[in-house]
Amino acid sequence: MDESSILVIDDEEEFVATLVQRLRKRGWDSEGVLNGRAGIARAAAGDFTVILLDMRLPDMDGGQVLQEIKKIKPASRVIILTGHASASEGEEGIKNGACDYLLKPVEFETLLEKLEAARNRGP
Amino acid sequence: MKMYTATIPGSALKVRSRESYYARQKRLFVVVVILVAIIPLLCISWTASHFYQKSWLDKTTVELTSLANSRREIIDLFLDSQENILAGYAELYDLDWLSSPGNLEKLFKAMNHQGVIVDLGLIAQDGSHRNYVGPFAEDLKDKNYAEARWFAEVMQSGRYISDVFTGYRGVPHFIVAVTDPTRSWVLRATINSELFNALLASAEVGPGGDAFILNQQGELQTPSRLGLTALPAGEKGLLATGGDLTIHHSQGALYATTGIKNNAWTLVLKTDIKTSLADFYRARQRDHLIIACAALLILGVATFLVRSMMNKVEDADQQRMQLYDRIRYSEKMALIGRMAANVAHEINNPLQIIGDQAGWLNELLDEEDPASLKNTEEYRTAFAKIKAQVKRASIITHRLLGFSRSTDGLKSLTNINTLVEETVSFLEKEATNHRIAIRRNLDPALPEITTDSTQLQQVFLNIVNNAFDAIGNDGAVTISTSQGNGQLAVEFADSGPGLPEEVLIKVFEPFFTTKKAGSGTGIGLAISYSIVERLGGSIEARNGRQGGCVFRVTLPVTPQ
Repeated sequence: MDESSILVIDDEEEFVATLVQRLRKRGWDSEGVLNGRAGIARAAAGDFTVILLDMRLPDMDGGQVLQEIKKIKPASRVIILTGHASASEGEEGIKNGACDYLLKPVEFETLLEKLEAARNRGP
Repeated sequence: MKMYTATIPGSALKVRSRESYYARQKRLFVVVVILVAIIPLLCISWTASHFYQKSWLDKTTVELTSLANSRREIIDLFLDSQENILAGYAELYDLDWLSSPGNLEKLFKAMNHQGVIVDLGLIAQDGSHRNYVGPFAEDLKDKNYAEARWFAEVMQSGRYISDVFTGYRGVPHFIVAVTDPTRSWVLRATINSELFNALLASAEVGPGGDAFILNQQGELQTPSRLGLTALPAGEKGLLATGGDLTIHHSQGALYATTGIKNNAWTLVLKTDIKTSLADFYRARQRDHLIIACAALLILGVATFLVRSMMNKVEDADQQRMQLYDRIRYSEKMALIGRMAANVAHEINNPLQIIGDQAGWLNELLDEEDPASLKNTEEYRTAFAKIKAQVKRASIITHRLLGFSRSTDGLKSLTNINTLVEETVSFLEKEATNHRIAIRRNLDPALPEITTDSTQLQQVFLNIVNNAFDAIGNDGAVTISTSQGNGQLAVEFADSGPGLPEEVLIKVFEPFFTTKKAGSGTGIGLAISYSIVERLGGSIEARNGRQGGCVFRVTLPVTPQ
């Protein structure tokens, strides 16, 4: 797996597809999954630099997914990116080990900055 | 029916009740209390009075009956005894013996030892006086009774008692006459009227009462105590009793009538009800006065109590309605807030995709050959506009999320005065630009409170920004802090034009704005409302006494 790889866990298929394309174009090896279980499985199997996680997934709550990923890979850098969550959910996520919290719609440039920041933070 | 109008929503509800409802209730209660209290009083009074009169009447009837019986027996006994004495003499002595002057006088004296008779006369069969003892000897000695009705009667039946008559002597009197067994002469005695009258005078018939004897023609045989000379026309019926003891009740009087002297006379006893009951009537008048006073007292007390009770009920109703309206408004605001937040959530995802797609197209444009694209610049401008509009929409949706933002865990000890100062420092530049003075009137003794200072600052910023918008240019905003009743208050008074009543009602509702389209979303005050509510406080808007609008934020000193 490439050193700068990104896993996008989000149920919005069009969002995931476009984001993955755009990230790849910027040199990030990206892939996307559309539900929580697949996300946990991929996070466990792969070694992603940053994981972008939605809080409302069809099969699981984003918070649970975060906890599972952190359990399996405590060093994972997870950025919460959601259109549903309230501030308290973001705070809860950061408390549970997420390194940042972004509210949709987020500009692509802002997202790239956050990804860079997360990558540079180190595991 | 109750009607309430809320003039200002939220905590500044002023509730006005329709007064007529309470006025009607007051009147109804007063009437009911009075009826319930006074009617039994009147019933008791009437019943007592009625039964007292009835029992008095019953008792008096019994007494009058007993009195009439006893008087009848006494009178009949008196008359019979006089008649029997004379009859005894007539049988015992003959005409010659009686004709001797000394003998008749002996009999007179024997008979008259109590002054019962006035005179005693012996009359021969031809009607002439044969002998006479008494004060009228000169007047009567030559009189002849052959033609007198009484003489004929006694000669026929042997015994006779006359009605009262004046006769030759010119004074009212009556006689008892008997004949000898052969009916050849008559012994006649004149009864002492005074002694006879005394038999009635002692009858106790009460004040205003009367006792007299009537003959069959209704003529008085004894004097009336009330000075009657003849029976009044309305009382002629007293004679139509056939002699039996009868009680009449007429014209405010109670009569007992009974036949005496073999029903030739009628004894009449009269008790005047009005006069006899005078004391009772006076007592009843006093009772009526007491009842009237009691009724007035009850009226006064009932009115006072009902008024004070209804005022309390009215106050309680108003408070309840205020609370109800406040809760309803709070619920409405919470519902609208949740809806707004949910809508924002749902819109954020599509906004993200729109932005991303536009960005993606923009990136792909870089890969195209500029020579083959005629409108490259137009595309770039369009993508930039899409990006800008997504940004604009996202500002609104992100603000809307404020409705569902929790405050748990973010509270810290905050000095509200410091928070006000900080807020002012953010706005000083804008205030200067619009020549708006920000005055502070802060209570230095204000206690620190545990609250969410970030969100509270958001509220203060919203209110001051609104004040700036209301003022425009040239004016002042006065921020005051104060404390009392376990609460502290922050007041923002602006020198703007104030708000009409219909705007004040809606000022905290989401999406309500008086600003021109595009310059205000109508979210700021709505979010401020929900933030302050969540912090356990309240926010209200009103027009100031000196004009302008006043927003007042009240917060609990002890955290909720």
